[in-house]
Amino acid sequence: MDYMEGGKLFRRSSNWKMNKGKIFKLAKGFRGRAKNCIRIARERVEKALQYSYRDRHNKKRDMRSLWIERINSGTRLHGVNYGKFMHGLMKENIQLNRKVLSELSMHEPYSFKALVDVSRTSFPGNRPVKKEGLAAIL
Amino acid sequence: MATAVASPTFLSSAFAPRHHRRLTRLAGPRRAAPVGLAVRCEKSDKQKRQPLSALVPREQRFMFEGDELCGPDIWNTTWYPKAADHVTTEKTWYVVDATDKILGRLASTIAVHIRGKNEPTYTPSVDMGAFVIVVNAEKVAVSGKKRSQKLYRRHSGRPGGMKEETFDQLQKRIPERIVEHAVRGMLPKGRLGRRLFTHLKVYKGAEHPHEAQKPVPLPIRDKRIQKTG
Repeated sequence: MDYMEGGKLFRRSSNWKMNKGKIFKLAKGFRGRAKNCIRIARERVEKALQYSYRDRHNKKRDMRSLWIERINSGTRLHGVNYGKFMHGLMKENIQLNRKVLSELSMHEPYSFKALVDVSRTSFPGNRPVKKEGLAAIL
Repeated sequence: MATAVASPTFLSSAFAPRHHRRLTRLAGPRRAAPVGLAVRCEKSDKQKRQPLSALVPREQRFMFEGDELCGPDIWNTTWYPKAADHVTTEKTWYVVDATDKILGRLASTIAVHIRGKNEPTYTPSVDMGAFVIVVNAEKVAVSGKKRSQKLYRRHSGRPGGMKEETFDQLQKRIPERIVEHAVRGMLPKGRLGRRLFTHLKVYKGAEHPHEAQKPVPLPIRDKRIQKTG
């Protein structure tokens, strides 16, 4: 039940252990001896798998914080900050999520301005719009 | 790309060159598309997507099916800037006069603009910011007794090699370094941060050699940045 893949011999057994072939397959692109020598590659591959587990969970957090940063800078161009903007949207029961809001702020400036206006009427309390913000948009 | 995917098995033969054989992947689960189904990109909300003809050469278009024919998805994937989105020659240039401006407040505004955090296309891993020119750097102001008490330290690496000088000594010696030091502390540290720092241009007098870039005045929102009295 052995087979060749990628130049390495894979043993197919009932419990598929992390044998050398599998390790080197995962160690492609590593720096220095970590892609060639089994002792070093094994450590680095274990670490890489740990990092990938951790980062699958972190990626969701990082993306959300990126969306929030983008929405923040988009709304500040209109004189509203992120917190007040979201509060206004929640009050109006607009359930757009942050991913979509960040895409709107980048690609659909007029629609986004409409949303900012909705939020501003629902929750006033932001400083009045300065000319620079408007002139930058329109 | 106006042909609807009405055929349940293969793409329109206009896409694939006739002499190529169909790949086995097309023999997968057949989509039972009703006759009147139009490709979704014909509706208005997807018109922003670039048509596939602009991006993919003719020979490879057979690899795309269904929704992918309209082009890359821009609504369900977070936008990441491509090389054409941050071309250095098309960036904005700002100019700011540092006369009697509070050092830290000025540096903070400059750093925000250099990093690109004022724009909704901000991406932390990519240089999406603008260039900033500072003129009259020797006239920058600080409050309180900082002029005689704020210390700038550097170390040569050897034992006993620390050198200190006060704000006004440094201002007499190399005035540009004051603004540069302040802004560099506010930019991210790392490879990208060092590249961003090169987008800051500080000059001693009122002249700067960047007239060809047509710099615009830097928009400053901070009310307390101008030193009064």
